[in-house]
Amino acid sequence: MSTIRLKGGRVYDPANGVDGETRDIGMRDGRIVALHPREEADHEYDVSGCVVMAGGIDLHTHIGGGKVNLARMMLPEDHRANRARDSLLELASNGCCTPGTLETGYRYAQMGYTAAFEPAMLAANARHAHMEMGDTPILDHGAYVMLGNEELFLEMLARGEDFERIRDYVGWSIDASKAMGVKVVNPGGISAFKFNQRKLDVDENHVHWQVTPRHVVHTLARALTELGVPHPLHIHASNLGVAGNIESTLATIDALDGLPGHLTHIQFHSYGKEGPKKFSSATRQLIEKVKAAPNVSIDVGQIIFGQTVTASGDTMRQFANADLGSPRKYVGGDIECDAGCGVVPFRYREQSYVNALQWAIGLEIFLLMDDPWRVVLTTDHPNGGPFTSYPHLIRLLMDKSFRDEQLARLHPDVAASVDLREIGRELSLYEIAIMTRAAPARLLGLADRGQLGVGAAADIAVYREDADREAMFATPEYVFKDGRLVARQGRLEAVPVGGTHFLETEFDPGIEKTIEQYAQRHLSVSYRNAKIGNDELCSCANGGALLACKVHGRRGGK
Amino acid sequence: MNATTQTQNPDSSGSSGQDWTCPFCSLLCDGFRVESQQGGLKLVGSDCSKAVQGLASFGPVPSAPSATVDGREVSPDAALDAAAERLAASRMPLFGGLATDVAGMRQLVRLANQRGAILDHARGDTLMPVLRTLQDRGQMFSTLAEIRNRADLVVCIGTDAASNFPEFLRRCAPVEGAAFARRTVFVGASAPAGLQGEVDEVAPHGDLFDAVAMLGALIDGRRLPAADAALEGLAQAMRASTYCVVVFEPGRLPAQGTLITEAVLRIVMSLNRKTRAGAFMLGGADGLQTANAVTTWMSGLPLRSRVGPLGLDHDPVQYASERLLQEGAVDLLLWVASLGPKPEPPATALPRIVLGHPALAADCAAAGTVFIQVATPGINADGHLFRADGVVTLPLRALRDDGLPTVAGVAKALEVRLAVRRLATEDRP
Repeated sequence: MSTIRLKGGRVYDPANGVDGETRDIGMRDGRIVALHPREEADHEYDVSGCVVMAGGIDLHTHIGGGKVNLARMMLPEDHRANRARDSLLELASNGCCTPGTLETGYRYAQMGYTAAFEPAMLAANARHAHMEMGDTPILDHGAYVMLGNEELFLEMLARGEDFERIRDYVGWSIDASKAMGVKVVNPGGISAFKFNQRKLDVDENHVHWQVTPRHVVHTLARALTELGVPHPLHIHASNLGVAGNIESTLATIDALDGLPGHLTHIQFHSYGKEGPKKFSSATRQLIEKVKAAPNVSIDVGQIIFGQTVTASGDTMRQFANADLGSPRKYVGGDIECDAGCGVVPFRYREQSYVNALQWAIGLEIFLLMDDPWRVVLTTDHPNGGPFTSYPHLIRLLMDKSFRDEQLARLHPDVAASVDLREIGRELSLYEIAIMTRAAPARLLGLADRGQLGVGAAADIAVYREDADREAMFATPEYVFKDGRLVARQGRLEAVPVGGTHFLETEFDPGIEKTIEQYAQRHLSVSYRNAKIGNDELCSCANGGALLACKVHGRRGGK
Repeated sequence: MNATTQTQNPDSSGSSGQDWTCPFCSLLCDGFRVESQQGGLKLVGSDCSKAVQGLASFGPVPSAPSATVDGREVSPDAALDAAAERLAASRMPLFGGLATDVAGMRQLVRLANQRGAILDHARGDTLMPVLRTLQDRGQMFSTLAEIRNRADLVVCIGTDAASNFPEFLRRCAPVEGAAFARRTVFVGASAPAGLQGEVDEVAPHGDLFDAVAMLGALIDGRRLPAADAALEGLAQAMRASTYCVVVFEPGRLPAQGTLITEAVLRIVMSLNRKTRAGAFMLGGADGLQTANAVTTWMSGLPLRSRVGPLGLDHDPVQYASERLLQEGAVDLLLWVASLGPKPEPPATALPRIVLGHPALAADCAAAGTVFIQVATPGINADGHLFRADGVVTLPLRALRDDGLPTVAGVAKALEVRLAVRRLATEDRP
């Protein structure tokens, strides 16, 4: 069995409380091991002058599934430029906002990321999502199944079905779609839009089912808690992008009633309606609330200036923004009594008051939140900006003077007034390691990832120290995936197929009868094809490892 | 049309072949059974002409998988060697047909990367109007279950929505006891017999281009000097419906069909300002939807792209198979037809490699052609295909084992042979 030693690097491993100590890291058989200092390793890398971290984990990135592929098809202009291939291992695959899956895997790995999670997998589109992720090389992956807008779920809520039955339904849905968690998008709102409702506040009734987003959120959060699902309910809250939506965001946190919840791309949900433009930052209100709610974690969804495309299940909000598209085109769909999708290309501009403020709000959230374990670094790829801008974002967070330079370019009214000007904080490498590795691993329940302790998977990124943090994080010196060198100074060395993380839930199989009857009456696919088995997952996911996690429910109580 | 199957998925439990998914059109019906009878395959639960015809092309189990090179029967390995040799000699191959499943297409994209091949589907001409509309303006779609549960008005533009997709209107008929009544209107096409609910035909003056342009203008509320009364009534009904679905069939669009697909999108976008609506495209047969989806996700660009060591190049006009072959712009054709005896490979003087249904053997016995019989997903191989809406992907399961290789298997074997050849060349001093 071959062994590898990384010698003399400064190690940042927050899961184990290691903050920049110089130490060696050993690897054997894809795992981190303790090598005796005198034991000769088969491969030894001198990493003095380098920073060693676990491989990055992106817990919210739209990398696979129907809407991502529609975004690719609608934006050939994003895929025309051919980057010179660094290595014969790379196949032709292009794009920046929505790269091909191959390019996605290559670029993430070249940045030191080793896992990525698709947050919006429709049950009706689950096979497709797993196929795309299976064709995203090197990275391990997983997905959250979108619930809370299917007609069956809403019908059960509306008729006052026993909670236990709904919990079984949620457990079944995770199992059937081979998901790693559950996401709710505009709770009830995607369905409401199909009934021509254009707005849905947290305590407003769905026009047809007469249930509220509050009820949807609480029910799902409780179901996940009782099923023992490690990742808290992943929540894309009501009223995305609407001025004054801080009210719905705070109400959504209240709806959790202390249950675990992860509010995603929170930047898009932290707007007030003060000031001359009736659009303002509500960061302070948000942070105060999140600080006081230890059950809540967030990721930011930072916007990055330039061209991107927004792809979301939130048809209600995406259609409302269709006219803002740049270039002006729109894809939308109502899907299988399950959910929907909306795709709007978008260009964030520094001289736009709204965009400039969005940019500042995102950074303020990172910098004002006191507990990095509850904040994950994301751009909601590609919605706020492509994932390839992470090194730039890290520099913004670590370098006050760089941040000020950027701030000076913004719309003058924003540059002159935002709180961000006054915030001197610069995040440390330790904090960055939390927000990009340790915290997402913990929030996903990945015990052996996002850390460098003995026994953990040997997913490791080694960055050469550089005062320019953007350059440093863009091109790691070495990247290892399961103990295998996959990239060296940005050049790919190996392109293994990644594994699929998914949960095995416990539920009363009696619920299948209800689902079968519903499918027979309302849906277009036989119930027998609603479930993805392990063998089928393996073929969808291109033969990668099946990283199943068995979860045990805590039925009948909190 | 069988009225008794209109309101529910046909019951298909309890006997052999119950998990059958039909590969013969892009609706991928999974509610019918197939029974093996005297070496043949018989559809149970539907009279769908597409499925019946498709199944009829699989007679008794073939005695042995066969392959030919220039008309000579050879071993499968010898055929692969010959194919690899011709591929290796090609400087600009075209991978056409592309009637295959997800696994086949994944492997073909990899193989194409080795040789810088252009990828186009046999039905590429029907994809392009839809794709170019998507690239220029977008798309607003609905899917089968949404139509079934919501659509009080279905407007079929230039298609009877039945001849080429016999199960479509049955599968999206309203559920029993639905709270709405369905009206189906056929514009510039005849209604199929036996359709439930209110059925109307509108025969507009002028051609389909004029009809959709006028309909769009009327829906936008513009005053027209000489509006067609029937279209005026239809526009009003579309605006008054709660969920209107506009159905069109790319395969039936006239030349410059992009103008019609754009008009349909404009109509649907406009309706959605006040009420709800979506478009449904009856297309994507012969694995077109699958080939396009896989190519797009792996490379970032859709069909009619060249993929290779120099990167990608996409051209919806220039990279049309027919044009490339006519102009002699390519030097080899690799044709894939694994979902049935069609699409047949075009006749050409160029070297051909055909991965096809056994019935294509006679057509592929000429000099210059390597023919390798391959299995059909849903008949004698497992696989996955994309449905017409591009959202739902369904598993296909083999009904029997004929010992034939899959497209994925053949493409992989070719890729390995090419890699070995390249290494051998590199090793030479």
